[in-house]
Amino acid sequence: MSTIATQPASAPASSRRFKAFATTFSISGPVVYCLTVYFNVALFTYWPADGRFAWGSGAANTTDGPNMLWYGWTITTVLIASALGLVATIVPERITKKIPLWLVWLLPILAIPYVVYALMFWWTLAARG
Amino acid sequence: MGGIISTYTFWTLWLFVHLILALGLLGAITHQAMAVALPARKPAAGIVTRFRSVPAAGYATAVCVLYVLTFFLGSFIYTHYRIAVRIPLEVGHYYKTGGFFDFKEHVSTLGLVLLPAYWFFWKNAQQPEYDNARKGVTIVLAVTVWFLFIVGHVLNNTRGFGS
Repeated sequence: MSTIATQPASAPASSRRFKAFATTFSISGPVVYCLTVYFNVALFTYWPADGRFAWGSGAANTTDGPNMLWYGWTITTVLIASALGLVATIVPERITKKIPLWLVWLLPILAIPYVVYALMFWWTLAARG
Repeated sequence: MGGIISTYTFWTLWLFVHLILALGLLGAITHQAMAVALPARKPAAGIVTRFRSVPAAGYATAVCVLYVLTFFLGSFIYTHYRIAVRIPLEVGHYYKTGGFFDFKEHVSTLGLVLLPAYWFFWKNAQQPEYDNARKGVTIVLAVTVWFLFIVGHVLNNTRGFGS
């Protein structure tokens, strides 16, 4: 008894271009996100205490209170990964079909050690009590 | 909130909706992960086999929609968390708890970027060339969703409903 449906895929889902976009987006996403966090490239910063937005990576300050960079990092990642995915749609299939599909699930796993490292200030504070 | 409901009730309601969406997502992705990791080979007999025997491909779009909705709602609630929850956590020296929430935010983005490939692999479930990739990405996404749910649950116990 198979648990995987065998219906044919719809036209967009089975197109070569969508495959190139989707796999490139998902493969590049974790790498781009780690780089975005490492280099602190946020498209914008949000200060929730006074609801202020500003382009780029802004710091916490006494006027606006704590800052939130994660929204900016995430949007930056989605935009860059989308751009790379769109580029992949115009690359010849003989090149894109060589991209190993196992990278889609392996790269998020490999990103975890870096993410834990990026939060070192929390773990350091916890160790100090 | 215009005097209709209190600020506390407003955020509690959104947190509750976030929980309901997360539960739906957790159920759907767990069914799917079980179906690809331990596919049922014979007609369903017990509850565990029936759990693994679901038509897994039909869950793909629902998983993507639920993930995105839960993600956006969590992002909205996060603005309140940053002021009303994280600062008291820091003051109380609950650094591991705060650290795990930041870990959760990173993991949620890593899960979000998986969705296009995940959806593509499931929409082409009849293609054997995608079997391994589909299995891998589904299991990684299921582990991701369980991690997000458990951390969120612990955070809620620390300073969520009723605090």
